[in-house]
Amino acid sequence: MLLHNIWIAWKSLKRSPTLSLLIVSCIALGIAFATTFATVRHAFTKHPLPDKEPVLRYVRLDNWDPRTAYPGDSLNSLPPQVTYRDAMELRRSTLPARQTPTFRALLTVIPDPAISRPSREDIRLAESDFFEMFQVPFRYGGPWTREADTKQEHVIVLSERLNERLFGGRNSVGQTLKIETRDFRIVGVLAGWQPTVRMYDMTGSALSEPEAVFMPFAMAVPMQIRTAGNSDGWGTQAGTGVAGFLNSETSWLQYWVELRSPADEAAYRSFVESYITDQKKVGRFARPMNYRVSSIATLMTDFQIAPKETFALLLVGLLFLAVAAVNLIGLLLGKFLARANEVGVRRALGASRRDVFMQHLVECQVVAVLGGAIGVVLAAVSLRALNAYMLDMTNRAGLFSLDFRMLLLALALSITAGLISGVYPAWRICRLAPANHLKV
Amino acid sequence: MHLGPLVRAMLRNKVRFGLLAVEVALTLAIVANCVSLILEARRELTRPSGFVDEQLLLVTATPFNEAFREVAYRDTIVDQDLAALRAHPAIETATNSGFLPWQGGGSSTMYRRDSKAELVRTQIYAADEKLLDTLGVRLVEGRAFTREDVLRNTEQLRALNDTERQRDASGLAAVKVTVPAIISKAYAQLMFPEGQPLGKTFEDEDGDRWQVIGVIDTFYNPYAWKIGEYATFYPRRQGSYEGGTSYLVRVKPGQLTAVEKGVEGVLAGVNANRTYRVRTVPDVKRRFLGSQTLMVRLLSIVIVVLVFVTGLGIMGLTSFSVAERTRQIGTRRALGADRAAILKHFLLENWITTTVGIVLGVGLAITLNMTLLSEVDGPKITPGLLAIGAALLWLAGLLATLWPALRGARVAPAEATRNI
Repeated sequence: MLLHNIWIAWKSLKRSPTLSLLIVSCIALGIAFATTFATVRHAFTKHPLPDKEPVLRYVRLDNWDPRTAYPGDSLNSLPPQVTYRDAMELRRSTLPARQTPTFRALLTVIPDPAISRPSREDIRLAESDFFEMFQVPFRYGGPWTREADTKQEHVIVLSERLNERLFGGRNSVGQTLKIETRDFRIVGVLAGWQPTVRMYDMTGSALSEPEAVFMPFAMAVPMQIRTAGNSDGWGTQAGTGVAGFLNSETSWLQYWVELRSPADEAAYRSFVESYITDQKKVGRFARPMNYRVSSIATLMTDFQIAPKETFALLLVGLLFLAVAAVNLIGLLLGKFLARANEVGVRRALGASRRDVFMQHLVECQVVAVLGGAIGVVLAAVSLRALNAYMLDMTNRAGLFSLDFRMLLLALALSITAGLISGVYPAWRICRLAPANHLKV
Repeated sequence: MHLGPLVRAMLRNKVRFGLLAVEVALTLAIVANCVSLILEARRELTRPSGFVDEQLLLVTATPFNEAFREVAYRDTIVDQDLAALRAHPAIETATNSGFLPWQGGGSSTMYRRDSKAELVRTQIYAADEKLLDTLGVRLVEGRAFTREDVLRNTEQLRALNDTERQRDASGLAAVKVTVPAIISKAYAQLMFPEGQPLGKTFEDEDGDRWQVIGVIDTFYNPYAWKIGEYATFYPRRQGSYEGGTSYLVRVKPGQLTAVEKGVEGVLAGVNANRTYRVRTVPDVKRRFLGSQTLMVRLLSIVIVVLVFVTGLGIMGLTSFSVAERTRQIGTRRALGADRAAILKHFLLENWITTTVGIVLGVGLAITLNMTLLSEVDGPKITPGLLAIGAALLWLAGLLATLWPALRGARVAPAEATRNI
């Protein structure tokens, strides 16, 4: 019966090609806009590390000026990062299963002169736990050990791209690479790691690529490495030079912990709270008690990772689909009522109202799914254009992609639009009294 | 033409005309809000920085040679770099500064009028005597930095950083210094609302005084904390071993690409033990405004396609309602109505529908605007915008009805008697 109805719908579409084209392209455009804009928003809002959402936490402490709140809206009125001295104190806690302070630096990498001129590269300083915490994939070798962190071993992990450039993509584990004035031993090479947003450091541009080199955090002090990311400070600095900076209220480090259970998280929060209370006694943290231990999803909201414009676009896209649906109701109504005579004959020959209703509803669904399919193709084309634009603007390739969830969304939107637009016209046509439309 | 029968006839067909009105309403709401967002984005896109953006690039040279650890050595190289840059035939001038316009950030600090006043945030950058010439900004008051300013102040600030400062009970430095500063007009108005900022001072949290020696005209560099128009420049040699030394370069008109390629060679000619990074301001600006540019384009496409779809919808529905009433039209024609009357009937019918839609649409547009504003920074929708949107929809409705209505008007009176 269903197949028969689909066949009737197909014949009906072919009978008036212009009108059919109008109807199908109307729904196709609606689906194309809605799907495109939903995909754009999805690229920014989808969780880069869903497995770790329950356990990974980012720590923020309000060590800001007692006289004035940290600039920003009320929700985020605390510094986005922590100070060096606080990071060192937080690290004393044994509650987290894993933890790492981390920051981005710019250093000069000096390869063998035969291969390449020295170049400035993005370097991430972190402790060995970082790689496990953020599920970083390796092509060759692996992370350095926790021992390497404590012993300040000169070890590094390279990104796949840098390994490609300096070692032609070969396994470079065990080779040395000079960075600034020191030689480092390569212990691992990443396998093309590219999370959708740079979740481990949301203070800069979230679309930035992961760094080219990863280095033990412990190297920051002996090499006097400064952050290349944001730093926020207030007040005057006691002491001079690096020691003064490390001891100041300037916050420039991201601090991540991995907690085994909600109970551990509660315990960790009270640890942070008691730390702040202790610090208040020595005159720090003069503002009201304010700290955050947040998951990646919360951070993505707090740091407004999804540009606000994408929300506007999504709304506009969905409303466009609504207009298309309303349009469709009118067009289908006209189309159906124009063949009232035909329906009269079917009814007179014994078709029930239900049969007529179903026949027309199926026709609407055929139109909607056909339009939806064309819409998805249009969306794929426009997303390609958007990807080219974003590649030019941010150096990120393939940012927007129609994944399975977006295809499912497109299908759901098509069917919903088909139902919403189809029910009324199909109901109207099945209610027609057959006698009025039969010639006598 | 009597409105009564026409409206009563329409009321018998509530759904069809209702649908049309809803479509018009939705279209008006979407179009008005899209235009409002576009206008807001364009304000930012077309906002002047006050500088010769098209002629600027920033080059940063970072050393990998231990000799650069020594300040005196770095200073000689900076002087040689500047001499080489300024002597280049395609370069107008260059300044030793890390200021990169349109970066969407930079560095900032807070100052106050005196130790009792509130702190006010401003962007702050070090520069040398060629700053104003390089940026191409106009001085409204006072004077530019001199070479003397740069040398004297660099020495003074370096001395401060080398030793720990003695502080009094209130935390202010025991020995205070005075730093000459050139500030933007907007910051001057904020700091000295009474006017005449020249020669006046404000202070930082150490208690050091910053004395205004010049005020520049337009300054705009977008910044996260809405301090885009507030700027303070001070004379100092910019650069460090770790971060390298930056030069903001002003090229001769049309020479940007050439200098972008060649500037590395110019600096390498002075000393090759460095890595270089070149960023042109037009490129930085293009990228900074990328998402807004994209939004303007996308929303423009939405508007065009939407109005087109709505137009087709109106046309389709009117066609049906004409086709359906072929016999009534025939009857009216047979009873003496002329073609103009039929045409007028359909146009009026449509006009009433569109008008109802527009009234609904104005309400919907305001609701949508409030939803958007809860998420996106933007302006409230203006009555003028709504009026223009309404006028456009009236016109679009009229045009879309014209063709089916003309077809209706062509119905011959004989149709009334046929096909009964």
